[in-house]
Amino acid sequence: MIKNYIKVAFRSLNKNKIYAIINILGLALGLTVTILVFLFVKDETSYEKHWSGYERIYRTGIKADLMGQKMNAPVSPSPMANAFRTEFTDVETATRIRTVNQEIMVSHEETKVYIQKGVYADSTFFKVFDYEFVHGDAMTALNEDNAIVLTEESANKLFGDKNALGGVVRYDDRRDYIVKGIVKEPKGHAHFQFDMFMANNNIRNVWMSNNNYTYVKLKEGADFNSFQAEMRRNFMKKIEPDVERFMKITVEEFLAQGNAFEYQLMPVKDIHLHSKQDWEIAQNGNIMYIYVFMGIAILVILIAGINFMNLSTARSGKRAKEVGVRKVTGASRKMLIVQFLTESVIQSFIALFLAFILVELFLPGFNNIMETNISLFNDHLGTTIVFALIVTIIYGLFAGSYPAFFLSAFQPIAVLKGDLTKTKGGTLLRKGLVITQFTASTILIIGMIIIFNQISYMHNKDIGFSGEQVIVVPLQTDAMTQNFRNYKDIFLKNPKVESVTRASYYPGDTPNQNQFVMEGSEEQLPLWNMEVDYDYFKTMGIELVEGRKFEREKESDSIVYCILNETAVKSFNIENAVGKRIGDINPNGDVRYGTIIGIVKDFHIEGFNQPIRPMILSINNNVWFASFKISSDDMNATISYIEEEWNKLEPSHPFRYTFLDQKFGALIKQQENFGTMFLFLTILAIIISAMGLYGLASYTAAQKTKEIGIRKVLGASVPRIMTMLTKDFIKLVLVANIFAWPITYLLAKNWLSNFSYQIDMPVLPYIFATLLALLIALITVSFQAYQAAVSDPVSALKYE
Amino acid sequence: MIKLNELTKVYRTDEIESTALNAVSFEISKGEFVSVMGPSGCGKSTLLNILGMLDKPESGSYQFLGEEVAHLNEKKRSEIRKKNIGFIFQNFNLIDELTVFENIEIPLLYNNVPASERKQRVNELLEKIGIAHRASHFPQQLSGGQQQRVAVARALITKPPLILADEPTGNLDSSHGNEVMELMCELNEAGTTIVMVTHSSHDASYSGRIINLLDGQVVSEKKNKLVQPAI
Repeated sequence: MIKNYIKVAFRSLNKNKIYAIINILGLALGLTVTILVFLFVKDETSYEKHWSGYERIYRTGIKADLMGQKMNAPVSPSPMANAFRTEFTDVETATRIRTVNQEIMVSHEETKVYIQKGVYADSTFFKVFDYEFVHGDAMTALNEDNAIVLTEESANKLFGDKNALGGVVRYDDRRDYIVKGIVKEPKGHAHFQFDMFMANNNIRNVWMSNNNYTYVKLKEGADFNSFQAEMRRNFMKKIEPDVERFMKITVEEFLAQGNAFEYQLMPVKDIHLHSKQDWEIAQNGNIMYIYVFMGIAILVILIAGINFMNLSTARSGKRAKEVGVRKVTGASRKMLIVQFLTESVIQSFIALFLAFILVELFLPGFNNIMETNISLFNDHLGTTIVFALIVTIIYGLFAGSYPAFFLSAFQPIAVLKGDLTKTKGGTLLRKGLVITQFTASTILIIGMIIIFNQISYMHNKDIGFSGEQVIVVPLQTDAMTQNFRNYKDIFLKNPKVESVTRASYYPGDTPNQNQFVMEGSEEQLPLWNMEVDYDYFKTMGIELVEGRKFEREKESDSIVYCILNETAVKSFNIENAVGKRIGDINPNGDVRYGTIIGIVKDFHIEGFNQPIRPMILSINNNVWFASFKISSDDMNATISYIEEEWNKLEPSHPFRYTFLDQKFGALIKQQENFGTMFLFLTILAIIISAMGLYGLASYTAAQKTKEIGIRKVLGASVPRIMTMLTKDFIKLVLVANIFAWPITYLLAKNWLSNFSYQIDMPVLPYIFATLLALLIALITVSFQAYQAAVSDPVSALKYE
Repeated sequence: MIKLNELTKVYRTDEIESTALNAVSFEISKGEFVSVMGPSGCGKSTLLNILGMLDKPESGSYQFLGEEVAHLNEKKRSEIRKKNIGFIFQNFNLIDELTVFENIEIPLLYNNVPASERKQRVNELLEKIGIAHRASHFPQQLSGGQQQRVAVARALITKPPLILADEPTGNLDSSHGNEVMELMCELNEAGTTIVMVTHSSHDASYSGRIINLLDGQVVSEKKNKLVQPAI
């Protein structure tokens, strides 16, 4: 029996190729998107899960509101990890790390290499994060101060085929480490990725300086809430003496002034998707992408499913006779339902097979756009296949159920007598489905336009500086740092080098935040603190609003000169700032005052999802990143010139540089990637929609063959007939837009709220999307309508 | 075999109510070959559909093989139908996607006949009606006469005691029509009861009895002299 169903299913598909292609290809594309999204979600949610006991690992952080400046940061003070280990019964262990924010040159004998990600970690690091040790002992590897642990890749770079264990690694020509362990890359993703671990077990007993990341692993069965409460109680006590010394007030007074301060714990497994704070170790993912992509997958599957239902019922006339014959020869309704469901499931499986091929074809592009490294044939292949099978079967049953019940209900007498070659039934439902489909497509079109508007807004927004033709070069030695000002002229000898400067941070970095105080005031001002060298504003193209820039000839070495940004002046209501003195409070409570000489226009340093912070820039000679503004013509030659001169000055370290605009551009790269992926998925959805509409239009035209024939005989023109055929579809598209507009408005508003700097909700995309949807519908339908309208009326009438 | 008593069928649409059958009573015995004749719209097809249990009467009684079936539900009717009744239609109603062999096989599938037996029975029948060489062809590749012979074979394959034929020669030229009629006679001679709706008095002349319908009522019945019904 099933064999007979399958036979009929294949022959029926073979006979109706357009129908089969629309159904199967549409579903295959739908399943492709679903499988891709599944793989993406699986990958994005896999973070940290390879650490044993990962559910019990938490990262600490602080949440504060200081003088109206909100701060949310995953950072913590130096003694915290040790306090966790020694004072809490619920803690299994805790570890503290401090990341190195630039690549580090390390050497072994004659081999010098740059290591990208180095980290200082205390001895318990590998107890919390159980890297697999190839050599060495995880429990003791970082116990000694000169211990270093390398990943296999780093060890290989430095030591080649030699066993690195026990070998000497020279760190930046400053100190020697002994290799105490070689670890494998972790099996899964983590929110950090390190190449080299240097022991650092010294504790600086200051609770108000947050330069570390602390991770705590609770004992099994520990209650999180009571632990968090206990932690807050304990640490708020610890911070008291520091607050009093540093701020000259008690914690109670500090809080009474309207400030807030709280320690936080975040499950390590949530970091990748849910943590969007300042001073993250690396840029994390975004849960929103997961929601959006899952939403799109559901929409695409829905669109494909609607195609299937619409086409199956629209062409039901063609199957009616078969239903009649089968009923007359003894088929029960149940048998027919089973038969039609079998057919839809078969089509779904063909589509599934195609989908796996398409996924494999699309994955490289997907990985490229999303900067992921997902493969279909990974450890989760089994899960993926099971997931895809479940979706396919559910789809087959869902999409097949309506046609199955619809077709199996035909009265055999009627269909066999040929009374019912066209069936009125289902028209309303079909219209509803087309509306749903176009609503989905329109949402995607409007969404896509709004996303691209926002991205282009971020591209074109005045960021307050000009990163073009600026290269950033890290200084590597103390000597270079001390003498850099004297070397500037060497570079400027080349007329294509327009200016040279240095700064502790550049756009794309997150500067430190320190507490400052205006002379004569008690109020502590949290300011982002950057140290720069002369010509910084010239090199960066940052505009001065008031006062003067740093000028060497007007300044004495014994005075600290500072410049504020506009936001600092505005946020803290500093009146007549230029000429006043502002002080930097160091951890033991001492204040070192400097003079404000100017105010600069705001410039972006973080991405657009963060507001511009109050910032202070002060002149300093001890700054480690040089930058060069070079002329746009023959840039390579200019860079070669700089490299040549640089290598003479700092021969111990090979010259390295990055372009500033690329560094800053990386901040919106993630959003751009998201936009690109959204675009592709939207185009896919529109294609599937249009295919369905095309199919539906062709059946409508076929149904109306007789009517068209009669009208033509009576004198109707081709345009009149085309209007008749397209009118209904246009109405449906318009109704769909009525639904799509408010839904998209809400979704887009929600998405835009991710950005501190966002476009105003535009009206144009809505109108444009409506027109685009109409155009797509018109093109698809009128192709069919035209063919029907120009057909020979005589043959149409005879056909009946 | 069939006993109708005061059988009535009314069709209703929103505006019109039309009586298709009005208190029709007659009997058909096992082994008879009966033609039902009458002008368009007289209720012939309605009668055939009710006899075939594809449709329910409004009122009255229909006894089939001694059992009252007028108001059975669809499932029960379907059971009786698939065991006892074969249908032949004017427009053949073969499934285009299935071959000749597969079309004939369908009723056996629904009667859960094992594959080997199905094969044997279909092949036998194909031989008998002379289209064995066309077994793997699709309906569109056959002439009208051949298609109707396939349809007849499909009606016969379950060896039903009753065959209902709705203008079986209506779409055929006269020579093909005669072939089909002769096939029907052979069947009848072999013991199958046949009820045939027709416009053609030529076709009706093959049958043993003619029932004339007009406006839903039996207006006359006559025995046919030319052909004797099989005993």
